[in-house]
Amino acid sequence: MEDKTVCIEFTINREKKALQIPSRMSALTVIRDILGLTGTKEGCGVGECGACTIEVDGQAINSCLMFGAQLDGCNVLTVEGLEKEGQLHRIQKAFLDNHAVQCGFCTPGILMSTHALFEENANPDDEEITKAIAGNICRCTGYQQIFASIKDACSTKTGNG
Amino acid sequence: MNYITPDNLKDALNFLACHGEDTEIVAGGTDVMIDLRAGKLEQKKNLLDIRNLAELKGIDFKDEKLFIGAGVTLTEINRSDTIKKYAPALVKCSTTFAGRQIRNRATIGGNVAHSSPCGDTIPPLVIHEAVALIANKTGEKLIPVEAIASGPYQSSLSKDSIIVKFILKPCRANFTDFQKIGRRKELAVSRMSMAIMADKDEQGRISFIRVSLGACTPIPQRMDEVEQFLMGKIPTQDLIWDAGKILAEKMAGVTGRRASSVYKEPAVQGLFMRILYPVVL
Ligand SMILES: Cc1cc2nc3c(=O)[nH]c(=O)nc-3n(C[C@@H](O)[C@@H](O)[C@H](O)COP(=O)(O)OP(=O)(O)OC[C@H]3O[C@@H](n4cnc5c(N)ncnc54)[C@H](O)[C@@H]3O)c2cc1C
Ligand code: FES
Ligand code: FES
Repeated sequence: MEDKTVCIEFTINREKKALQIPSRMSALTVIRDILGLTGTKEGCGVGECGACTIEVDGQAINSCLMFGAQLDGCNVLTVEGLEKEGQLHRIQKAFLDNHAVQCGFCTPGILMSTHALFEENANPDDEEITKAIAGNICRCTGYQQIFASIKDACSTKTGNG
Repeated sequence: MNYITPDNLKDALNFLACHGEDTEIVAGGTDVMIDLRAGKLEQKKNLLDIRNLAELKGIDFKDEKLFIGAGVTLTEINRSDTIKKYAPALVKCSTTFAGRQIRNRATIGGNVAHSSPCGDTIPPLVIHEAVALIANKTGEKLIPVEAIASGPYQSSLSKDSIIVKFILKPCRANFTDFQKIGRRKELAVSRMSMAIMADKDEQGRISFIRVSLGACTPIPQRMDEVEQFLMGKIPTQDLIWDAGKILAEKMAGVTGRRASSVYKEPAVQGLFMRILYPVVL
């Protein structure tokens, strides 16, 4: 079936974009292949790993399960947008300080799930943290350092955000 | 493929009246995306995005009925005080439904319309005797939620129609719960799910009971035999065990005995015991 195109306008990492995209292209492909923002990863492509997590209107979502066309009118944040004026976000700093990155494939998605959690709740308890990152799989770290980083980011006030 | 985003229900229904056969409705898209990737939508010419249809949004309690828009997401269900008050089993189901990212997009209407045997919202809807308000160009009708799935992944909805909302009888029982068994704790697709609502009279006899089973039967359904067996009886441990046995037999009767029955029958009985244990005297 031949794909028609669809026009979308949205804000991504504080920048306005107007694009014409194939109608069934995923939001993930729009972000990676059209906009060149390759920080967002494709792991499973079917909603199970969370590597493709981005924030849409303040909520963490799997960009592999969303149509690019559904981005129309939305406010999108990807891992590239966490840094502001050369300053890492405090969540990113905490991940570095606590050695929460090994191969790094899961990291952008977990950073975005954490960011969305903090948008809702600046001081989540352990269970809320576990729930917020349950949709993100990490094959390397065993989650201990990731969890420690998130706890750390709750209490630090340094960095932007 | 065309991607269309109508502004209102009327335009959407007019479009479906002409192009329903070739069109796939997109709500959150979490099932549609996967079906598309799997090549199941090759014959479709249009994707119809229903996000702007105001009629599909919102949660309301009016005239002793609970209304839940088909476009309400699992996250919205999870956070709704109204649903917590009038349909707590549905809120319970939303806490174990996929991961946060999917709950933020997945809608209750999409979950029911997809007719997956493991649609977790269906057993909680069924114990509330929920009906769906279905609209097409010519009008509206009410269909019980149980009648929407005609088989695994097969919906009885005609291609020109949209589920607008669900209408539930509010919870009047003191005890209600939803539990599921999956392969792992988080993000597990249900192997078995169960929603129960129960109440007792002053003498401690069961005066009200609704039992609905999902995932392990081809379509989620209410278990009338078990309800009838328990009505008017004092719930002892032995009685609940016997009722669980009836439930397991009913399940085996619906699905036909297979290799997995060896574990499924005791599992369904065990899950039933676990849920109803707080009601035992
Ligand atoms: C990793 C993963 C984990 C999951 N875990 C669970 C789980 O634990 N429990 C569970 O129950 N499900 C689970 N699901 C499936 C769940 O995400 C979907 O069933 C979801 O609820 C569908 O809603 P949607 O809005 O995304 O629907 P869509 O994908 O947009 O649509 C689904 C189907 O319903 C039709 N449709 C949608 N809305 C309407 C309407 N208003 N009227 C008529 N037809 C309509 C569409 O045409 C389509 O055929 C999981 C999925 C994934 C990928
Ligand atoms: S790539 Fe989207 S969840 Fe795995
Ligand atoms: S660091 Fe490798 S998958 Fe998480």
